[in-house]
Amino acid sequence: YPLFQLGGPQLRLFRPDFFMALVRPGVPQPEDTAQFRVSMEMTKLDIKNYLEKIYNVPVVAVRTRIQHGAHNRRNHKNQRIKKPDYKVAYVQLGQGQTFQFPNLFPEKEQTPEARSFDDFKKKYIEKEQQRQRGDPRRGGVPDWFGL
Amino acid sequence: MAARRGWRLARQGRCWLSQAEFSAAPAPPDSLYPPIVASATAKSKAAKRRRLEHFHQRVHEAGSIEEKLRLYGLLQRPKYMIYPQTFAINADRWYQSFTKTVFVPGLPPRAASEPAGAPEPGGAAAGGATGLAVPKPAGAPEPGGTAEAPQPAAEAAPEVDLGELRSLACDVLLQESFYQNKKRPFLYRDQDHTPGPFLTQLISLLAASLCRSNPLLAASSLDLNPEVNYYWHNGEEVVVHGHRKGRVDPVRFQIDDHPRLQIRVPKQLPEVVPLEADLGNVPVIDHKPSKLPLFKKQYENKVFIGSKVADPCCYGHTQFHLFPDKLKRQRFLNINLEDQIEVTYRANGIASLFAWTAAQAMYQGFWSEADVTRPFVSQAVVTDGKYFAFFCYQLNTLALTVETIQNNPRKNICWGTESKPLYDVVEDGDVKGFNDEILLQLVEFLLNRPKEL
Repeated sequence: YPLFQLGGPQLRLFRPDFFMALVRPGVPQPEDTAQFRVSMEMTKLDIKNYLEKIYNVPVVAVRTRIQHGAHNRRNHKNQRIKKPDYKVAYVQLGQGQTFQFPNLFPEKEQTPEARSFDDFKKKYIEKEQQRQRGDPRRGGVPDWFGL
Repeated sequence: MAARRGWRLARQGRCWLSQAEFSAAPAPPDSLYPPIVASATAKSKAAKRRRLEHFHQRVHEAGSIEEKLRLYGLLQRPKYMIYPQTFAINADRWYQSFTKTVFVPGLPPRAASEPAGAPEPGGAAAGGATGLAVPKPAGAPEPGGTAEAPQPAAEAAPEVDLGELRSLACDVLLQESFYQNKKRPFLYRDQDHTPGPFLTQLISLLAASLCRSNPLLAASSLDLNPEVNYYWHNGEEVVVHGHRKGRVDPVRFQIDDHPRLQIRVPKQLPEVVPLEADLGNVPVIDHKPSKLPLFKKQYENKVFIGSKVADPCCYGHTQFHLFPDKLKRQRFLNINLEDQIEVTYRANGIASLFAWTAAQAMYQGFWSEADVTRPFVSQAVVTDGKYFAFFCYQLNTLALTVETIQNNPRKNICWGTESKPLYDVVEDGDVKGFNDEILLQLVEFLLNRPKEL
């Protein structure tokens, strides 16, 4: 971007071509904080304006950091593979709003037929394994061994 | 050779652990053998507990207060730096949870009964410090806990002439902002340009003129730009990175505060409520302090009230804080954060006063294992030049570490007001909209003294 000097024209972007991705925080964050992965070129003011103007989200404070992608994986040619770096933004919401990242893969409620089908499957698998193992009275010796 | 070198390295890393002191365990007189206790050097929880107990005993038996403070802050580890003047969102709730403080809006009743007790003739006003026991002159019992008395301030005792003090304050304000020819303030240095000198002058003159009414002020010490530090532990966390990863450590905090002015006195202010009083709940915040955001650094663990231990003025009376340019009111209004303005005042009051009162308590020999036996009371005025907020803090407990906080029902209490303007505007050599209540509150704060005086 052109460098901003005091008194100069403010840059206005009408169709920004960078993105923000809302992610689940790795460590628990306070209730009013949302965690985003943003483009590396975005600044705190950019993030604040992006959320306020495009999504009407009241933003009180933004803190950013750059996460270094690991560079110690190796491929089949023993060359080092780098995971890409990315910028993380912690956005504190205003007007007392809170945000909790939703559980995207909840445990599905099992219907009675499904539960009984699961039981049936378990019993069948047990029977097959028992047949493989053979008679316990023979102590692990296969049944073709003998006189 | 290798064994000797290893022993030397172990001594350097843990020089506070001395083998000789551990081996001298006293045996009860009726047994032939020394008592069976856990090892002191093993890598076990019992050994760690024994080392900790030995350390506590060393601090208890320290010869002087300086030695006690030196041992208390001996081990340096990364700790959270708490800044009383911060723009972090909802910082006052976080600070309350770190210091186990209950915040009570409004000032305690003793401040309200001062003008009511003042119309009594002669020296009866001298006994009006603790409001809960002051008999009203008209005989009507005070309902307690209400705002300032409705009697007009002009009826104050002949010792305190409010009109004279008001003209004094207006003179100082005009001198600093109107009469004196000052150049334009440097960028982001507005507070040092006018409000700073105004506050210094005003408080110095007020304290000097109120010496007649309050003999405690005559024996007090007024510090300019002093330093107040306090170091404490609260709660536990698991170390995340580094060679100590996985160990359970106490969460360490350090406050390094620089109030603008500070009045230290040789006698302690009286308690406002009893030591075991319960006036509310302490906000509990489950998250790590780094989410506030707070940052860690490792440096000297300092405990300091503004003067060294040998100074006779070892108790605190009043602190005066001036906000820097970063916390100007206009900045918050520009980004639509009006509610955070009061939060900054409260956070400053709570953190600064906790650090000051706790450091005073440490100067008297109390610490987290030896809890305070009497409450420590101090006052503070937080201002940004025009708006004033008043705070009063009573320290009831220093025991905030994991072991000592469990069976400790005591809480620290902070009373505080909202920020109100002292004047509306200064133009053409005239102060418009001067607020007498703020001046009265300032005068009452300065006149606060123990019952005996």
